[in-house]
Amino acid sequence: MKIGTVLSWVALLGFALVTLFPFYWMVMTAIMPTDAILSRSPSLLPDLSRIRFDAFGGIFARSEFPTWMMNSLIIGVLTTFFSIVVSTLAGYSLSRHAGVVQQSLGATLLISKLIPASLILIPLFILYNLLGIFDTYLGLVLANMTISVPLASWLMKGFFDRIPRELEQAAMIDGASQMQALRLIVLPLAKPGIAAATVYVMLNSWSEFIFARTLIASPERQVLTVGMQSFVGEQMVDWQLLMAAGTVSILPAILLFVFLEPFLVNGMTKGALAGT
Amino acid sequence: MAMTSMTASKVRQGGWLDLGFERRRTLLSLALLMPAAATVLVLIVYPLYQVFEISLREGKVMNFARIGTLPLGFGNYARVLSDPQFWRSTSTSAIYVAGSVGAALAIGLATALLLNRRLPGTRIFRTLILIPWAVPGVIVSIMFLWIMDGSFGVFNAMLRDLGLLTGDHAWFVDSRTALIAVIIPTIWKTYPLITLTILAALQSIPTELYDAAEVDGAKAVQKFFHVTWPGIQGATALVVMVSCLGVFRDVDIIFATTGGGPAHATETLALYVYKEAFQYFRMGAATAVGTMMIAFALLLSILLGAVARRSKY
Repeated sequence: MKIGTVLSWVALLGFALVTLFPFYWMVMTAIMPTDAILSRSPSLLPDLSRIRFDAFGGIFARSEFPTWMMNSLIIGVLTTFFSIVVSTLAGYSLSRHAGVVQQSLGATLLISKLIPASLILIPLFILYNLLGIFDTYLGLVLANMTISVPLASWLMKGFFDRIPRELEQAAMIDGASQMQALRLIVLPLAKPGIAAATVYVMLNSWSEFIFARTLIASPERQVLTVGMQSFVGEQMVDWQLLMAAGTVSILPAILLFVFLEPFLVNGMTKGALAGT
Repeated sequence: MAMTSMTASKVRQGGWLDLGFERRRTLLSLALLMPAAATVLVLIVYPLYQVFEISLREGKVMNFARIGTLPLGFGNYARVLSDPQFWRSTSTSAIYVAGSVGAALAIGLATALLLNRRLPGTRIFRTLILIPWAVPGVIVSIMFLWIMDGSFGVFNAMLRDLGLLTGDHAWFVDSRTALIAVIIPTIWKTYPLITLTILAALQSIPTELYDAAEVDGAKAVQKFFHVTWPGIQGATALVVMVSCLGVFRDVDIIFATTGGGPAHATETLALYVYKEAFQYFRMGAATAVGTMMIAFALLLSILLGAVARRSKY
C-alpha cells in the first residue's frame, strides 16, 4: 500500500472516531456504574465486568418515558401517513405536468424552507386557539405537515421523474384510464421512492421539537424530544438515566437509517436540496 | 359513439391532437394536486400572510383573535430596530451560522475527498459518518451537554490530560465560551449532509478529466483546482446555502442547551423571535423580526442560487 493510502485511511478513521464518540460516550454512561463515569478522569474504555443495564429498566419505570415514546410514535405515524398520501399524489402531478399551479407549489416549497419554525408557530398558535385544536395530536400533525408535505412532494416528484411516461402511455393505449395507469403501473414502480420518503418524513417527525414544545400543553400528550429536554432543566441531572433514555430514543432512528441508508442517501441529498 | 371511437383512434395516433383527452389529463393532474395545495395554502401561505399582517399591527391585545382590530403601521419594526438585543442577536446569528457552516464545510469537504478515494472499508465509513444527520437536535444537545459538562464532562478530562486545561470549565455556562459550545454540536449535526452532497458531485466527475490532466503533467494541487473544484462548486454552493438556511432558522440545539443564555450570549434571531412571541407575548415584534429574517434568507438564497447555477456546466 502506498503511504498516501495509509494516511487517508488513518484520517478517515479519525473523522469516524470523533463522529461516533458522542454515541459511544452516551452508551458508556448508560451501562457503566456511576462512580466510573462521574469522575474527574473517567476511563475511556469500558470495564466489561461492571456493565449493568439497570438504567434502561429505570427509564421504563419512570412512567413518562413510555408515554413520550408512544406519543412520538403516534405523531410520527399520523404525520407520515397523511404527508405521504398527499405528497405522492402531488409528486405525480408535479412530475407529469408543469402548469401554473404546479410551479407555484414548487415556489412555496422553496419559501417554506426559509421560514423559521419559531415564526410559523405564531400564526399557527393563534389559529389553533381559534379552531380549538391547541394541545391536540391533530394540531401537532398539521404543524409537522408544514415541513413534510413540501419536502415529500418534491422528493416524490423526483422519483416519478425517473419512471418513463411511456409506461403509462402504453397502458392507456391498452384502454386503461389515467387513474388506473397510476394505480397499476406507476405506483408499484414508485414503491422504493415512497419507502424512502416515508422514512425521511418519519425521521423528521421523530426529531421535531419546537412545534411540540409550543403546541402541546398536556404532559400526557407530550412527545419524546420535549420530554427529554425537560430532564435537562432539572436541578440535579441524572446523567446515567438521561443517557439510557437518549440511547433508547435514537435507536429506532439509527437502525432505520443504517439499514435503509442506500435508499435514503439519494433522497437525503434530493430532499435537502429540493427546490433550489 | 362515433365521436368517441374517433377520439380513441386519434389518441392512438398521437394524444396531443385530442383536446378533450388533454383537458381530462389536466383536470386529473389538478385534482391530484389539490390536497397538497390545500395543505400549503392553509398551513403555510395563509399563516405567512398573517405573520406579515401581525407585524404591521401596533399595540397589544390580550385576545389574539382580535389582533386585526389594532391600527396598522411600522411601529413594531421601528421598535425592534431600536432594540439593542435585536442587533446583538443579529450578530450572534451571523457568528453562529458562519462558524457552524464554515467548519462543517471544511470537515465535509475533507471527508468527501477521503471517501471518494474508494479505500477498503469506505462504504462502512460513509454510513457511520452520516448517522449524526438522523439524530434529533434535542438528543444531540443532551449528548454534548454531558460531554462538555463542567465538572464531569469527558471533554474537560481529555483537555486536562493533554495539559490544556486546569480545573473545570463549564463551556455552556460561561458566557465567553457558550457560543462556541453551541457551535460544536451544530457542526457535528450539519457536516454529514455536506459530505454526502460533495461526495455525490465528486463521483459524477468523469475520470477521463483526471487522466487528461495527468497526461498534461498536472500536479495534485492543480488537479484539485482545475478538475475537482469546478466539478463540485455548484453542488457545494447549493449545500452551503441549504445548510446556512437550516442553521439560521433552527432553534432546537440552542433551545435545548443554553436556552439563549447565559445573559443572551447565544440568543440567535430565531430564538429571539420565539422568546418575543411565547415568553413576552409581543407577537408584533416577533413577527416583524421574522418577516425581516425571511426577506434576508430569500435574498441570500437568490444570490447563492445564482452563483450555484452559473457554476454548473
